[in-house]
Amino acid sequence: MDKLPDKSPDRTIRSLHITAFAGSVFALILSVMLILNFLQMKRIDPLNSRTLILLNERLKTNPEDKTLREEIRSLDLLARKAFFTSQWQIRIGGYLLLISGLVVVISLKTTDFIVKISPDEPGRQKLDFWERQSASRKWIAGAGVVMICSALILAFMTDHELGRDLEHALGGAVAAKGEPANANVGSDKANRENRMVELPADVPGMVSDSVTQSADQPSGFAANPVGFPTQAEIRKNFPGFRGPGGIGIDHHKNIPVSWDGKSGKNIIWKTKIPLPGFNSPIVWDDRIFLSGANETRREIYGIDAGKGTILWTTVIDKVPGSPAKAPAVNKETGQAAPGMTTDGRRVYAIFANGDIAALNFEGKIVWVKNLGVPSNHYGHSSSLIMYKDRVIVQYDQRGSAAVMALAGPTGDVIWKTQRAVKVSWASPVLVHTGTRMELILAAEPFIAAYDPENGKELWRTDCINGEVGPSVAYADGRVFSVNEYSKLTAIQLGEQPRILWEDSEYLSDVPSPVATAQYLFLATSYGTVVCYNVLNGEKFWEHEFDQTIYSSPMMAEGRIYLLDKLGVMYIFNASDKFQLIGQPVLGEGTFCTPAFTDGRLYIRGNNNLYCIGK
Amino acid sequence: MFRKSREFWLLLLLMLLAGSSFAIQRFPRPEFETGYQQPETMLPGPRAEIMAVVDLAVLILALSAVSWMVLKKRSRKGVFWVSMFSLVYFGFYREGCICAVGSVQNVTLALFDPTYPIPLTVLAFFIIPLIFTLFFGRTFCAGVCPFGAMQDLVAFRPKTINSKVDAALGMMPYLYLGLAVLFAATGTDFIICRYDPFVGIFRINAGFSMLLFAAILLLTGIFIARPYCRYLCPYGVLLNWISRFSYRHMTITPAECINCRLCENSCPYGAIKIPNSVKYAETRRQRVRKLMFITLLFPFLMVGGGWAGSRLQETFAGVNRTVKLAKELLVSDQNGQDVESFEIKAFRSSGKPLTEVYQEARIILHRFLIGGWILGAFLGLTTGLMVAGKLLENHQSDYVPDKGACLSCARCTDYCPVMGNTMPTELNHKA
Ligand code: SF4
Ligand code: SF4
Repeated sequence: MDKLPDKSPDRTIRSLHITAFAGSVFALILSVMLILNFLQMKRIDPLNSRTLILLNERLKTNPEDKTLREEIRSLDLLARKAFFTSQWQIRIGGYLLLISGLVVVISLKTTDFIVKISPDEPGRQKLDFWERQSASRKWIAGAGVVMICSALILAFMTDHELGRDLEHALGGAVAAKGEPANANVGSDKANRENRMVELPADVPGMVSDSVTQSADQPSGFAANPVGFPTQAEIRKNFPGFRGPGGIGIDHHKNIPVSWDGKSGKNIIWKTKIPLPGFNSPIVWDDRIFLSGANETRREIYGIDAGKGTILWTTVIDKVPGSPAKAPAVNKETGQAAPGMTTDGRRVYAIFANGDIAALNFEGKIVWVKNLGVPSNHYGHSSSLIMYKDRVIVQYDQRGSAAVMALAGPTGDVIWKTQRAVKVSWASPVLVHTGTRMELILAAEPFIAAYDPENGKELWRTDCINGEVGPSVAYADGRVFSVNEYSKLTAIQLGEQPRILWEDSEYLSDVPSPVATAQYLFLATSYGTVVCYNVLNGEKFWEHEFDQTIYSSPMMAEGRIYLLDKLGVMYIFNASDKFQLIGQPVLGEGTFCTPAFTDGRLYIRGNNNLYCIGK
Repeated sequence: MFRKSREFWLLLLLMLLAGSSFAIQRFPRPEFETGYQQPETMLPGPRAEIMAVVDLAVLILALSAVSWMVLKKRSRKGVFWVSMFSLVYFGFYREGCICAVGSVQNVTLALFDPTYPIPLTVLAFFIIPLIFTLFFGRTFCAGVCPFGAMQDLVAFRPKTINSKVDAALGMMPYLYLGLAVLFAATGTDFIICRYDPFVGIFRINAGFSMLLFAAILLLTGIFIARPYCRYLCPYGVLLNWISRFSYRHMTITPAECINCRLCENSCPYGAIKIPNSVKYAETRRQRVRKLMFITLLFPFLMVGGGWAGSRLQETFAGVNRTVKLAKELLVSDQNGQDVESFEIKAFRSSGKPLTEVYQEARIILHRFLIGGWILGAFLGLTTGLMVAGKLLENHQSDYVPDKGACLSCARCTDYCPVMGNTMPTELNHKA
């Protein structure tokens, strides 16, 4: 199809070529302009103009500021104008580009019609038909193999848990309705799961007489429901230390604001807990769970939330691998400091000697094992946290710090990630950042996030040191970490988490902070509470309570609940102005963080568990 | 100097076309505090029915005109001008919608979801080109499909593709068709439309990646004529099958082939079947044995392919909106978090029970399992059949178009020196 030599003087062809050339140049200039425009718009991004966002934030805190409002309006108008002008330019540019493209194509096409062509010389050696067919066969087969391999690689790269998760979720939901656990699901997987939860007869360390059943066990309690809870279920309950996700935010209503331990005002019941423990109460449906321990005995309690009766006490002993003697611990940590957790199917507890146990709601041991005595000079205190049907353990000990997920039904290690950190006493926090779940841990020298599915590290920021006690706070894509002799750091999550601001005026060594989209509340152990602006670290207010505080502040119904070591609860508004709502007194010292349900509050004092409500 | 530089300019132009994105950018509505009522969002009303009839009439007229140009007039020029008309009408005026290529998905969805009311025009756009193909070959591709016309416009320097590469790439349309059917049947997505490279140009509005895809295709199209038609088009698969049985397909020569070989390299799509040369590498017996072996292998190919396809169940299902929502809900339900996506918020405000979404997601997941098996088996079978096809003897002694692959563009007719009832036109057409 080569052209015949173009000997014609052919002015038409020449002018056609000039047209094509001019069209191309024009299109080229246009394209460059359009690309520049596009890049500029992308960079400026009026939709997310930082100044506008900041000004809007400021307006929220100061809605009466008329000048600010006007400023925002005019900026907004400007941004819109810029946006629409660029839109107009893009549209017109697009049309012009199309037209110039057409001019080029038409000129070249016309040349093709005018220039005479000669057929190809057919003289070249003809390829052998069968040779070609045979090569084609091989290539087609090759294409088939490539397709299969690609399918397998793709399949390998996909997370295959959805089917199972759906079965679990459906199983769980059905069971929660009080129907047979696997009714309506009928899948093998659900049945298998159900069997797994059935109590093994010979769990090591499970001694039948270690379970003391109480007579007034409520009937109809969901027996071995399979799966794991939905978010709604989790929010309805209080599944672990500092509530769902361990971030100190509660979702219940009608939380009491006044009581008095001495006169019994608004104290519904009070129950003595046999063994000491600094773990805070957790609640699921009509049951409260606590653990207690001394050097010789470790116990887990199931308590009736209605009456406060201890329904059962399960002793954790004779655990294979468990040390004969409890490790030496600090008095202020004790043998049962880590908070328990529950997924509504089982409850999990861990002790200072490394014994970890899963019990069903009747107090029967589902599994128990020893993770190795943690090398921790004050005593292990990181609370457990649940994710799906797993329990996650932050085991930051000297020498071999790690975080691991154990299967709820079996205790098998699903994943374990080693951590290059020092000992830590903080607890894990589990949040959904808008795009994914992140398990966030604090320990010297970094704050790090992990994928709770597989334990893969997602990011880390070197910003903390010392003996880390407080867990992080999280709200609205920002993480806040703090430690005594270190600093307070705000981290903005995103593709690449970055430090938003830092401060070191007030630092905490035990209480964990709590945050909202606007405010960060930090309580120090020496009794000062500070409220910060989450965006820039500006201090809104600070207040001295002048009491030792070990408990962490909890936010419920727009109020902060903060207990001091003497059992006085400071209740104040979660706002940029300090406004004390109440200061009810329990009448008993406490280290623990309260738990909430609708209309009720549970506080573990040094000896008793209190239920507060009307 | 201009002649030499023309490809360069064309390349540059197309690359820049890709770069200059006219991506749709949206801006939120302003919030008024003055009590101003935002007007309701207006959706364009359905196209007047009369216009649907006009579209259909244009389709039938254009098909008739091309068929007549190819079979009766044997005129490449005629075909070219009809294709330009179609490009303007179906491409730029109707903005690439309605389109026979995409209609495959509507038909599939209608077959699998009885509640989906398939518009009659869409059905007609699916069937009419197939009927014409059954009678006259792929005249639809020659001059009615705007995608084909668009690519034809830029095919300035078509090169011959090595036959084995061509054969291997020829698997792609089957894969694309299979995926399009799978996603449409499960009500997940219309991927042909989503990844339609030309619609962005027709509408002068596309995202950056789509424009890039279009530019790459057009760029490739300068040297590899009609790359989309040959190596992607899912509708082309159906047309190819049907065209093999076409009642009156175009011929290269108007009378008898004299084996002058002048047309041998004239087809930019490599769709001319060259008479068999006698040099046999393998004996007939050997080939028959291979053919039997391949045929016996069919069940294994299908099961193997099906198994591989079924492994992709969750990968595919991940694209489905309900499955995506269920996934997000599952994640979000593990932990009471404050930040929830709009989808989750919308779902929660709908009051629909959670279990319903999970149930739905489970059903869809199951459909993808079955679909994955079928898709894999289909591709396994196609591979087998294509390999087997390459073992069949080619008895023809003349230069003839491959009835499946030939796009009836009538270029080759210009190269044939034989006089028939129509005078061969001058050898003055290229492109
Ligand atoms: S092969 Fe497909 S895209 Fe190409 S012309 Fe035919 S129908 Fe159109
Ligand atoms: S008509 Fe001729 S040139 Fe056109 S596609 Fe068919 S064989 Fe090729």
